[in-house]
Amino acid sequence: MWRTAQGDERMLIDYLLGNLPEPKQEEVEDRAFADRSYLAAIQAAEADLIDAYVRGDLSDPERRQFELRFFASPVRRKKVEFARTLAKIAGEEARIKAEARPSLWRRMLPWDRPLHFAAAMGALLCAAAVSWLTVENRAMRTQVADLQSRGSELKRQTTSLSAQLAEERARSAKVAAQPKPTIPQALVASLILARGTSRSQDVPSQLVLTPGAKLVQIEVQLEPRDDFPRFRGELRTSGGDEVLTRAGLRPRRASGGFTVSVDIPASALPPGQYELALKGVTASGSERDVGYYQFGVKRY
Amino acid sequence: MTAVENPARQRWSLTQEALDGLLNALSPDRDAAGARYLEMRANLVRLFEWRGCTAPEDYADEVINRCARKLGEGEAIRDVATYSVGVARMLLKEMSRDPANRTSPLEQAPVPRSPAAAGVSGEDDREDCLRRCLSGFSSDNRDFILRYYQGEKGEKIHNRKGLERFYGLAAGTLRMRALRLREKLQECMERRLERKDAISL
Repeated sequence: MWRTAQGDERMLIDYLLGNLPEPKQEEVEDRAFADRSYLAAIQAAEADLIDAYVRGDLSDPERRQFELRFFASPVRRKKVEFARTLAKIAGEEARIKAEARPSLWRRMLPWDRPLHFAAAMGALLCAAAVSWLTVENRAMRTQVADLQSRGSELKRQTTSLSAQLAEERARSAKVAAQPKPTIPQALVASLILARGTSRSQDVPSQLVLTPGAKLVQIEVQLEPRDDFPRFRGELRTSGGDEVLTRAGLRPRRASGGFTVSVDIPASALPPGQYELALKGVTASGSERDVGYYQFGVKRY
Repeated sequence: MTAVENPARQRWSLTQEALDGLLNALSPDRDAAGARYLEMRANLVRLFEWRGCTAPEDYADEVINRCARKLGEGEAIRDVATYSVGVARMLLKEMSRDPANRTSPLEQAPVPRSPAAAGVSGEDDREDCLRRCLSGFSSDNRDFILRYYQGEKGEKIHNRKGLERFYGLAAGTLRMRALRLREKLQECMERRLERKDAISL
């Protein structure tokens, strides 16, 4: 292996930069073609020179000389570009490694064999000491293990009970959070009295009034023949006591025919059985019976 | 120096007969002659490259043509490889005498062509190809070459000293290992770039 001393290295750099006189240049070339290791030394010097250029380590005259020589041929330009890319990637890798902050062990591993050996010996001694202590304290360790086992069992039971308690609490909270069945708090209670809910019916309709109900709206479905312009409603108890009378009621178009609505304050309807007598009022003012409708009232 | 059309080259070109004569002069064994021919040509390319010529391969071929012609003319050449180096130096002198090739002050020299001008590849492509080539290396070689070329001045020297200790190798041996890996890496990168250029073109 041909070794480049400091002076030889300088001479090779001068050769590559074209700074040697012709006889010296020929000497270097002849030697390179006769000795492969010398040829390799020139190639290595060339690689280092290119690296120095891409890193900006050359002096100004060297840099100018380098550019004149190395940018002349495509082959050498490729070498320069390759060196630039390699330097960039090597730099990035170094930064990544530095950021990763390797452990002390990893840092010393590739660098110092004696230190590596010393560390390995230290680890071996530690392992031996641990083994001895293990044997000496086996009984104690068994007891400790037993206690740990019991402790673990207690811990497991406690955890289980805690979990059950938490589950129960959650269930109770869920039940408490569930909405209680509430009575509809409608302000208006409606009752529809269709044909057939007349006096002759065995089972009268039922109106359920909640405490919040303020108004009862009774809607009576009319038959086609009940084509009166006005109606009058008389509400009585099943015993015949008059509750209220509503006059001037107008028919309204609804799906499937006409209806007449009678609005009654809820307070006028205590629980019990009632009868609504609906009468048609002609244009001349005469009245005709339309129907008698019975219904019951219940209160919550 | 710039590449110039050589009048001699225009008048005479390498024939099969002349090439056979050249190979015979290099070695009676055809395979050995082939290997010597390649080595001789590689050295000539290096020489012209080291001397800063623009087209080292063209000049190397011109030298080989001249050697083959001399052999064809019956000139006795004992060592064709050594003779070729002499012819190469003659060619260099011819070129330096040519006013077109005369060295001019750097300030007057044309701006060197961009290294990227030879292909369509850019810096990103080169980086990508080089990374791929590195990933194809064994982890040991990859770590080695990256560490060898890492750092600036003092840090680089420190890195290389560390590698010497780690591998138990002399600095020169380590340098050669790095050089061989570097050559392989560059070859790989250029192959990939050529494929990429071919696709993009």
